[in-house]
Amino acid sequence: MKKIISLLVVNLLFSSLVYTQEQHRAAKILEHLKNPSNEYILAVSHRGDWRYAPENSLQAIQRCIDLGVDIIELDFRLTKDGHLIAMHDETVNRTTNGNGNVDELTLDQIRKFRLKNAAGVKHSRQQVPTLEEVMMMVKGKVMVNLDKTESRWVKEAYEVLKRTGTIDHAIFKGNDDFDVMREKYGSLMDRIIYMPKLWSENKDVRSYREKFETTINPFYYETLFDNTEVETFKMIKDLKKDNDGFLAIALWDELCAGKTDELAMLEGPEKAWGWLVEKGATAVMTDRPDELLKYLEQKGLRNE
Amino acid sequence: MKFIVLSFNLLLVGLSLSCKQEKNNKVLDESTVLVEKNTNHLISIDSLIANLEDSNNNQVMVVAHRGDWRNAPENSLQAIENCIKMGVDMVEIDVRETKDGVLILMHDEAIDRTTTGKGNVSELTWEYLQTLDLQDGIGHSTSHKIPTLEEALVITKDKILVNLDKSYEIFDKCFKVAQKTGTVNQVIIKGAKTRNEVEKEFGQYLDKVYFMPIVRLANPDAPRMVEDYLKDSVPVAFEFTVPQDTIAFIEQFDEIREKGSSVWVNSLWPQHNGGHDDERAVLDQTIYDWFINNNIDIIQTDRPQVLLDYLRSKNLHK
Repeated sequence: MKKIISLLVVNLLFSSLVYTQEQHRAAKILEHLKNPSNEYILAVSHRGDWRYAPENSLQAIQRCIDLGVDIIELDFRLTKDGHLIAMHDETVNRTTNGNGNVDELTLDQIRKFRLKNAAGVKHSRQQVPTLEEVMMMVKGKVMVNLDKTESRWVKEAYEVLKRTGTIDHAIFKGNDDFDVMREKYGSLMDRIIYMPKLWSENKDVRSYREKFETTINPFYYETLFDNTEVETFKMIKDLKKDNDGFLAIALWDELCAGKTDELAMLEGPEKAWGWLVEKGATAVMTDRPDELLKYLEQKGLRNE
Repeated sequence: MKFIVLSFNLLLVGLSLSCKQEKNNKVLDESTVLVEKNTNHLISIDSLIANLEDSNNNQVMVVAHRGDWRNAPENSLQAIENCIKMGVDMVEIDVRETKDGVLILMHDEAIDRTTTGKGNVSELTWEYLQTLDLQDGIGHSTSHKIPTLEEALVITKDKILVNLDKSYEIFDKCFKVAQKTGTVNQVIIKGAKTRNEVEKEFGQYLDKVYFMPIVRLANPDAPRMVEDYLKDSVPVAFEFTVPQDTIAFIEQFDEIREKGSSVWVNSLWPQHNGGHDDERAVLDQTIYDWFINNNIDIIQTDRPQVLLDYLRSKNLHK
């Protein structure tokens, strides 16, 4: 009997181990992020799955988790009373049934509003979530890419991440030179995951990257190119050489030489997402997470 | 004894597997078809019309609000084409007239939210509107253009029924476009009007296109309004708005269908259906059972794919 009980215990331990491992999908994603590969292309969903539920809502986040998205890009802004909330625009007008600037409203006031669905469709029951709620939801499941916090609210965001135990779940990003970020945030820059953006408009984009390489040495870059002649596109070669990840943004023409989600819809995914992957993208940000994941799986580009 | 442990073991594995599978099944598929899959739901327009006119069969019709706005700009040709591919029965689109008299698809009075331009439709020319692009659901420009009513009706011809919203006041012009495109038999107009009003304002069209009265059940006059319409030459359907699901009138839906009118209720928002709406149904599709159980046989939805899948699973849709 003892034997049986101990076997049962082992059994339960084993199954709970399996369970914990499943809970730690976020850790696996971080490994992929640190070791970019052309066999596992990371799927990054823009503002959650906003076709499915209101942009930047908990339901849009849960949907991404269910679909198997790796990283969810979300926007955060600071309320008048110092809370970070998920909101893209400076005002709440487009995405909620309320009015006003986020920085002139308190969290309590914003809580009273209800989110709108895409296409401005009203009458959702959902509220604007805080960064804290978002991090509790994603913990162990998926990573997030924090937009709009750059050069403004990194400290505030870091406090929330620390409190929720999710510092390793969040990717910060930004356009500022390293010196500016260091000046502003000091040693915090060594403790967060930071993904600099390589903009084609930046004339000194090479030295901009060089400064990051010799300091915090990021393992990923968001790479934007209007066309294939610009410097940022040519720099993909360097990223590959250094084994750095290359996040392509398939949202709009000017960000990815026209190889957008829309092109994928109209002319087939090979011409858009396929092209980006062929050029070396190891992660793709999309407004079509469901379709992108199906495509990547079908192409064998999701080998864990 | 070992056997017991082993079977317990298997049970555990089995349990965790079945849990996993259930979770996978829960992920609804609302994606646009990139690689042709097995979906060929094209139904002939004759059978769509026959279904619309038959208020007593068990088939539930699906109406897509503003087209498939999740996967294409609202009121775009692509949003209509997506609906046709899905096997939606009727697409709801909004008609407005430009300054120079062209009928276009546009929901708002102003073009600001849905296009790359600014201003009110009634103050803008078609020449200008043609230069603009439609925006997607988060307000970013796309390669899709503002369609004219004519373009829209051409692609719907013989494929899908069309509910022209906001067209009542400008119906003389809309009707001409429907005639020109050969789609008169596919057109549905709705209005929150009494029988008297409709006969006076819309009489000449009542034997040409389908008119459906909208009846708000919060209105104390609702039962009398319905009675008026049911006297003779009954409408093909009534649209009811049902603010609470405790309203007694719901029990008459059955009888109304027996008398020859279908019953249309929106699943769009809670105030249309006593809280049995799309937002809840997407998390739990049995929410749609409220419609089925209450003899509602036309549902306008913001979740056409989810609703179609559910109805098909119950053999309530082809």
